[in-house]
Amino acid sequence: MEQPSVPNAQPTTVEKLILFLDARVGLKEMQAKMLNEPIPGGSRWAYVFGSILLFIFAMQALTGILLMFYYVPTADHAYASTQYIIHDVDYGWFLLGYHFWGSSAMVVCVIAHMSQVFLWGAYKPPRELLWLVGLALFGIVIGFGFTGYLLPWDQRAYWATTVGVEMVDKVPVLGDFLARFLKGGPTPGQMTLSRFFVIHVMILPAALMALAGLHLFLFRVAAPAGPFSGTPEEIKAKTDYFFPRQIWKDMVGMAAVFATICGLAFWEPVVLLDEATPDPGEYHPEPEWYFLFYFQLLRLKIFSGEFGQLMGAVVVPVAFMLLLIALPFFDKDPERNIFKRPIALITWIFIMAMIAIFTVSSIINREFLD
Amino acid sequence: MATERETLSPTQIGLGVLWPACWTGLPIKLALAVLLFAMGIMQFEGRLGIAFLMLLASPVTILAMPIIMLWFGSHFGEGSGVPILFFFSIPIDIWAFGVVGKTYLLERLRKEPPDGVGFTLWWKSAVAGALFLPIVWFIVSAVTETAVSTSHSIAQVESLRSLFDTGLPVAERIGLEVTIWGTIAFGVLIVLLTIGVSTIGRIVCDIAAAAPKAPDDYQALIVRWDLMRVPRDQGLFLTGITGAGVLICLLFWAVLPETTPHPHECCKKADVKAEAPFKPIETLNRSEQQIGALATKVEALEQQADRQDEKEKGKGKADGGKTANASAVTKP
Repeated sequence: MEQPSVPNAQPTTVEKLILFLDARVGLKEMQAKMLNEPIPGGSRWAYVFGSILLFIFAMQALTGILLMFYYVPTADHAYASTQYIIHDVDYGWFLLGYHFWGSSAMVVCVIAHMSQVFLWGAYKPPRELLWLVGLALFGIVIGFGFTGYLLPWDQRAYWATTVGVEMVDKVPVLGDFLARFLKGGPTPGQMTLSRFFVIHVMILPAALMALAGLHLFLFRVAAPAGPFSGTPEEIKAKTDYFFPRQIWKDMVGMAAVFATICGLAFWEPVVLLDEATPDPGEYHPEPEWYFLFYFQLLRLKIFSGEFGQLMGAVVVPVAFMLLLIALPFFDKDPERNIFKRPIALITWIFIMAMIAIFTVSSIINREFLD
Repeated sequence: MATERETLSPTQIGLGVLWPACWTGLPIKLALAVLLFAMGIMQFEGRLGIAFLMLLASPVTILAMPIIMLWFGSHFGEGSGVPILFFFSIPIDIWAFGVVGKTYLLERLRKEPPDGVGFTLWWKSAVAGALFLPIVWFIVSAVTETAVSTSHSIAQVESLRSLFDTGLPVAERIGLEVTIWGTIAFGVLIVLLTIGVSTIGRIVCDIAAAAPKAPDDYQALIVRWDLMRVPRDQGLFLTGITGAGVLICLLFWAVLPETTPHPHECCKKADVKAEAPFKPIETLNRSEQQIGALATKVEALEQQADRQDEKEKGKGKADGGKTANASAVTKP
């Protein structure tokens, strides 16, 4: 009787390496756990924002490290070193442009991710902790934008930080201490730059990595929420694993974001204003575009005067954040379909409309001032 | 489930096809656009470029854009890259419409997708867009213009002066104006876009009406639907995608016209004359030499002046001291 041919049982070098690692760290089990996550109702484009955020953060870390090779965080040299990056370092203008637009992309994606979770009702039990950690991550992303804005040390950076720190100063009890801690002196200077730099490159990245890890862990424990509509039969039939369909969508999303940021870095490069001085001259201080709506809101007469400033700078944002924190605890209704939650839908549309209206108003106001 | 499918409106169907078709084709077009940017053969004007890119995401703009640019004088971009992008968008859109159209017909409408559904949807959408979008452009532009001027006059009416001492404050006035014209313009845009999306939905409905019914086995149908979205050999597929990504990255860096500084006119470095390096010993020596030379000159001038004085004194004696007082006045 003819013996069946035995395939070559000798493992290749790569297979040997994988076996070696698997025996020590449980590589295959880890891979199975990471890729075989069932997604109720199947993969969707709406789920890509979390992965895109991780990708943007990784790219921000990479471009940030490359920029740090040339950037000097001192009041005397910050501006000159940023100009050096733009004009003399090979592809320096592109790296800086990518890092600059990457921060905007991160804010947009965080808001898109939060909106998706809110509209999908994915903050409801048992995902309250996931929502809370997500809110903390949102705060960190905003912190990245605020601290990174000062680093080029031009007029825009200087005055945006001055306005921001003045807003912190309005916080009752802790405000004065926080503002003095951030500034390190009566006016923004070397101490401010050093502190913002350390917060931007050490404290916030460490906090983001820790909280992003916790966010992922909680996500795996709670499992994906799945679609808010559809029959159980439909959801069950369409359920598949994280790999390959969702990974494909995530990759396409990442590629689209990467191409968009590259395009913006190329098309709308970073151009510095004059070097920072305590005299604003002709320059009208204003923050980064994603804070413009809030900046315009604070220009309203209702937020003028000491009480008004306290309301605008502290009470309104703190109340809004507290509302977001409390959301999963007072919204006990298990209904997740956004079309059956009219208050949630109207609130979301109202907030988005307000952001759009006040952002456009701020741009018109800028033209009016100029 | 069947009831829900039967009650799908043309707008829902249109949106269900256009939205994913837009996102399916966009990444490829975006990569192409970035490459054309890097080559420097495509320029978009201001922020309209972003809108242009987003509109490009939809195949309904393929014929509408040139018509709008021609008739309404709206200039979106220049360079040979714009028509190249349009040209390459055609097969990408046909492919995207094919993938989405087939899956939508099978899974949502339970119909067997006919052959060439991507191309049929593409040309019908392109024609619909060519007729409809210029009208939308004209109406929305006119409405926005009217709404802006109306809101401007509303914000300045006398009755509002009674609320505030010096009329409506600037921030409030701008906010009020933006709310008024923004709501009107956005409302009109949404209504017109709904009509447009509904038109695409009717095109899909017509295709679905002529298509045979899909088998009732839901699980088998879902398997077919799934394989329409993701190829069978997923490893090969992912490798291909990664390879394409790497190739695009390499091409991007290769076609960038200059490494540094930034190739745009906007970012030229200001011409600053570099100061000569300061060398203290050389400067001191040079200064010493200069002072020495100047001292010698002063000495020579003084000697010359003395000699002249002596001459004039000699002359004065001869002239009887007539000019002696005058020379004393002029002497330093």
